[in-house]
Amino acid sequence: MSDYVKSSPHFFRIVKISFVALTIALLVLAFFITAPLQGPADISNVPNPSKSAWFLMWTQELVSYSNLMVYSILGLGLVFFFLPWLPISPTADRASWLGKDQKIVNIITIVSPNIA
Amino acid sequence: MNKDDDFVKEFVKHLFPRVVLRSNLRLTYTFCLGGLAFTAFLVLILTGAMLLFHYQPSTTGAFKSILYIENSVPGGWYIRNLHRLASNFFLILLFLHTLRVLLTGAYRKPRELNWCIGFVLLCLALFEGYTGYLLPMDQLALWATQTGMNLLGTLPFGDMLRSFLVPDDIGQPMSLIRFYVLHIALIPLSMLILCMLHFYQIRKQKGALPYL
Repeated sequence: MSDYVKSSPHFFRIVKISFVALTIALLVLAFFITAPLQGPADISNVPNPSKSAWFLMWTQELVSYSNLMVYSILGLGLVFFFLPWLPISPTADRASWLGKDQKIVNIITIVSPNIA
Repeated sequence: MNKDDDFVKEFVKHLFPRVVLRSNLRLTYTFCLGGLAFTAFLVLILTGAMLLFHYQPSTTGAFKSILYIENSVPGGWYIRNLHRLASNFFLILLFLHTLRVLLTGAYRKPRELNWCIGFVLLCLALFEGYTGYLLPMDQLALWATQTGMNLLGTLPFGDMLRSFLVPDDIGQPMSLIRFYVLHIALIPLSMLILCMLHFYQIRKQKGALPYL
């Protein structure tokens, strides 16, 4: 039990500091970073290129090569979802960054966003 | 007043475990990414609720109401900036949190259920961001949503999903109201419930290693 410390104050202190720091950062940055607003939606005025939301851009790029590429995204999603049950991720007794016992998972995690 | 304060304090305390592993409090282990993402989510709920008072979910009124928020509502431009900024931060922090969980092996048994909850939360967050994109009804909103729908069409059962989300056409009354209801009620509520479950699982698995 000596490895453990009480959440209050040790853990809550970190939670509070991170909460306040992010809130202040957002409050300050919102003064300077303007939310974009273009002209009213017009279905007859097609922009070139037509882009999806930034967080979907990588899928748009991938699908632009072939519609079948969407299955690679789905496949990868399924692999990640069921990761705890796959033999490439054995049960661990401690957590550590880039653990040697899950080499394949580390490689997939680092490589997959780069391919996209 | 004091009793209320105590109640809130106790409630928050009960969301989290009573004890934590000392070694896992190192900043370089978690970087507080999950907590930071939840903070951004709270800012989103708060600013989103403020925007609701002035936003009109109609094809003719949506863009005008955004202009009204920007130009006539005191501090409206700032609340909109904050909402947009927090949404970007929220997604980035969630991606980083997922990356951290993967690279530290914290998804592994016995916390597989929490990993699945987190995975669903990430998907919901992306969907939440996507449904919010259409609401301003400007050119960016319309065409980003259109492109997203084309992507959806490439998925298995994509057409079925598309016809549910967009029964008429993108930016038309039915699709706008569906995106609106999903964005302001269904998805955030589901996310809030899942967040509570996510925290509860962390508390429940206090003795499980790897922790956090």
